[in-house]
Amino acid sequence: MASTTLSRRRFLAFSGVAAGAAALAACAPPTAPAADSGGMTAESVTVSTALTWEAAFQTTQQEFDANFMEENPDIILEPVYNTWSDHNQVVPTWAAADTLPDIIYVHGSRAFPWAFEGITVSMQSHIDADPGFNVAGVWEEALRLYRFEGEQHGIPYDHGPIILGYNKDIFDAAGVAYPSEDWTIEDLVETSIALTNTEGDIPIWGWRGDMPNFGNGTNRNMLNTYGANLYNDEETAIELDTPEARVAVQIWVDLIHKHGAAPTPAESEAFEQNAWIAGQCGMSLFASWSTPTQYAFANYAWDVAPWPAGPAGQSCGSFGSGFSITKNSGNPAAAWRFLSSYLSTEGMEFMWGSSGRGSPARADAYQSWLDSEPASDNAHYFLHALENYAVTGRPYQTLAAPQLLDITGRYQTLLRSGEIDVESAITGIVEEANAAFADAAERMS
Amino acid sequence: MTASVPARPVKRLRTLQQREERDFWIAILPWFLGLFLFTGGPVIASLVFSFTDWTGLNLSGFIGFKNYRDLLVEDLVFWETVYNTFYYTFGSVLLGTLGALFVALLLNQNLPGTYFLRLIYYLPSIASGVAISILWIWLFNPNVGLVNYLLVKLLPIDTGPAWLSSQTWSKPALILKSTWGIGANMIIILAGLQGVPQSLYEAARIDGANAFDEFRNVTLPMLSPVLFFVIVISTINAFQILTDILVMTQGGPGTSTYMLVYYIYQNAFQYLKMGYASALAWILFTIILALTLLQLWGSRRWVYYEGAT
Amino acid sequence: MAQMQDTVAPGGIPARPVAPWWQRASKRRILNMTIIYLLVLPGAVMFLIPLLWMLSTSLKESRQIFVNPPVWIPNPVVWQNFTDGWSAYLPFNTFFVNSTLITLNNIVGNLFSCCLAAYGFARLRARGRNVLFGLVLATMLLPNEVLIIPQYVLFTKITQFLKPWWDYYTPGGILWMRYLSWLPMMVPPWFGFPFFIFLLRQFFLTIPLDLDEAARLDGASSWRILIQILVPLTKPALATVVIFAFIGNWNNFLMPLIYIRAQKEQVLAVGLNQFRGQFGHVDFHYMMAVSLIVLLPVLLIFFFGQRIFVQGIALTGIKG
Repeated sequence: MASTTLSRRRFLAFSGVAAGAAALAACAPPTAPAADSGGMTAESVTVSTALTWEAAFQTTQQEFDANFMEENPDIILEPVYNTWSDHNQVVPTWAAADTLPDIIYVHGSRAFPWAFEGITVSMQSHIDADPGFNVAGVWEEALRLYRFEGEQHGIPYDHGPIILGYNKDIFDAAGVAYPSEDWTIEDLVETSIALTNTEGDIPIWGWRGDMPNFGNGTNRNMLNTYGANLYNDEETAIELDTPEARVAVQIWVDLIHKHGAAPTPAESEAFEQNAWIAGQCGMSLFASWSTPTQYAFANYAWDVAPWPAGPAGQSCGSFGSGFSITKNSGNPAAAWRFLSSYLSTEGMEFMWGSSGRGSPARADAYQSWLDSEPASDNAHYFLHALENYAVTGRPYQTLAAPQLLDITGRYQTLLRSGEIDVESAITGIVEEANAAFADAAERMS
Repeated sequence: MTASVPARPVKRLRTLQQREERDFWIAILPWFLGLFLFTGGPVIASLVFSFTDWTGLNLSGFIGFKNYRDLLVEDLVFWETVYNTFYYTFGSVLLGTLGALFVALLLNQNLPGTYFLRLIYYLPSIASGVAISILWIWLFNPNVGLVNYLLVKLLPIDTGPAWLSSQTWSKPALILKSTWGIGANMIIILAGLQGVPQSLYEAARIDGANAFDEFRNVTLPMLSPVLFFVIVISTINAFQILTDILVMTQGGPGTSTYMLVYYIYQNAFQYLKMGYASALAWILFTIILALTLLQLWGSRRWVYYEGAT
Repeated sequence: MAQMQDTVAPGGIPARPVAPWWQRASKRRILNMTIIYLLVLPGAVMFLIPLLWMLSTSLKESRQIFVNPPVWIPNPVVWQNFTDGWSAYLPFNTFFVNSTLITLNNIVGNLFSCCLAAYGFARLRARGRNVLFGLVLATMLLPNEVLIIPQYVLFTKITQFLKPWWDYYTPGGILWMRYLSWLPMMVPPWFGFPFFIFLLRQFFLTIPLDLDEAARLDGASSWRILIQILVPLTKPALATVVIFAFIGNWNNFLMPLIYIRAQKEQVLAVGLNQFRGQFGHVDFHYMMAVSLIVLLPVLLIFFFGQRIFVQGIALTGIKG
């Protein structure tokens, strides 16, 4: 027994020494350390891009990448696929360890905070030095989102307005004329009431029950048309506490609770896409980027119309997504060469236009999208909105933006379910939002 | 071993006790190393960061207890979040443990089909994730959802609650949903039931015990270490609920389903207030620690260890 | 299934024929059974709903998924969702191999490290043991969300340090650890997992200590006691650990999403989530079809684990 113990102890001692020696050996650099990744093939550089496409769309990306690499043999493209909903968590994590890919997808709502935190870098010098890249051809409303301290920190690939979508089957069944170009919000309200029929086995509502989300999109459609503003132009305070805002919010609340022409959340909740996609609502707010999902899942005839005007005229929100070069890019010049091609008119037409994937952020690439399979007959009204009355809504220049969206979103759900009245919702939003603004001001100072 | 090995004084482990102590350290060595190498650093880092204004990327400096003070004094939703978390934890641990125990006792019988039934009860725990959470939104639909359909059939009521779209019923809805995950606890309890010696039941039967006596005097004491585990782990898990909220309610309606880890997630990755999120996490840590210690202390009264040392 | 075992003896030699259970069963047993089934079956139906919904969705055209009232029986039945989902867009065969390698490694690693640690905490007396066990519990209490970034930074520093050596000495990987990006997932399981340590400790504590003491007096080492006494007696618990470790690693999503970049190194859970697109778009039909295929190994492990449960019953005779 004693000798076994002894031998075991000796063995442990030996293995300890061996492990230490191995560790020492490991600390000595290999005689011929692997070359830097850039030096593998003489001149080629690798450009990695974090994308958020679902599996079925990745084939389009592969096709584009193959063509690009054929024309640019010195660049090797490496796509990194994130899921869209997790991207906003993964990017800050990568950034903390300085392992960001060269290029990342940036949703419009992240453009400001990520530029502020230094995740994305200015692309202005590349843009200025690249005569082949027609930056003026990109919608100004889209570029504005990605501008930080006067310089572009990103270029949008998709930009679309939020207008009116309608279910043709429901209009036809009720014998009501489709929404027209000269509609006002009063027409929308009256038609919603006329279309509503909740007596049958499957209830039908005229209006989906959208509310101003008080965020950067729909408040233009639902508040601005009544002359109300959500935030001041400096994005330092909330301006919801006005008579115009009260009138405007009340209209959308009444559609649900007074007229019963829109489902309460309790009535509409079914899957993520709710009663509209299930074909139970006559009309809904409809953004250009909803088109692919609508095309894939809606089992009825549908189309779009201009967003109706209010007493203060016509207005709607618009928003988009883009790509930025990151602080960790080892080859920003090569990364820009890729983006310059990817976000050119031809690139946008190939990737998002003719694939029907999204409304391109360039006017001259728009037609390819309008001609694509998923775009509806009257999709040109999106273009019409961008050219005439779409504005990228605030906030997009404050660190408080995500928090403001959460705060206003909370009150929005309560208004929709009727658990709060307009007056107390506005009071609550003002109190909480101003606290968030104050906190953001402190962080940004 | 040859004699040529230089004689080195070997400290003999004279007693069994000393050897046992040495073996203890060897046994826990992998875990202990892992704690040092992989866990300790990040844990300490998060504690340090809770005293800073770290955004996850940039840090301008230490700000003392400001994060903690802001949370406890100024934050408009923090206390609501704490209340919601306790509400949910209490409900889901209670229903989850009792439900799992009940099903495990029924399925511990050696009857035809029990393999299959165990699998069915375990399925929702495996088939989880985002897609299934979306299914629940539909099941809880007040008008066409299955939950209310059954309630109206079984109970003398005309309409069921509005569940996920009501501030009153959103938390009970999440609790109800969590009971579909009792499969994991059921598996642990089943494993525990396999370990109860049949001889004890035979002895009890000779003493004329009925089924309830058997349960109370044999099953429950023998199962208590496992039940204790189930309760502690369920509490920890319930406190850390996140996915269901992200997919099903996003904290709403209003703030009725704002829970601590959801709020941590929002602060950390949506608002980029990592220092604030770390402070929240350490407050959460303190709360669960207190509860766990309470459970440990309470366990002395009801947990019976056959192999206590 | 249990009845099948009764009629076939080990080694496949036909045993004495036994009457089917409904003839052997006593009246009391039948009454018991009826009560149990009445209690368990309605719940079982409720618990089957997610699976049925997955099955139904996996066979639908996309436009049938959201119609109201919901359609449970797809028309037409689209079997192609399974083949397209599996191989038309993403290399699920590769993901499958990768997930299998990582999962098996982690199960073995967890069994090894957690058995040892649990044994220490449950059976070996030492000073400071309770404090250290408190640390095991404490590490479970801090929410992962605030640890993700520091841990990612730490693991990234380690892998960046290792990279030159890895590329030089082992460009093809070490055994089943094929890629450097897998190390953050495959190494920590060998260093314990608090949940399993706690679980196994509780089960070890249900075994009478007399067994250890007797063996120790006979000169058995601590390790022999663990392997020859405790492990055989806690097979159901070990099977539980295997089942949980399998599912936990098989479904692990966030770690590979953050650590793995290249599609050829990616795993099933991330591949599945790539059926989710932007702005809440989800290709449910593909996602559910592939989910069902991915579920199959889990079901196999579960049935395999259940057999160990039954063996556990046979062994309980020597306990207590």
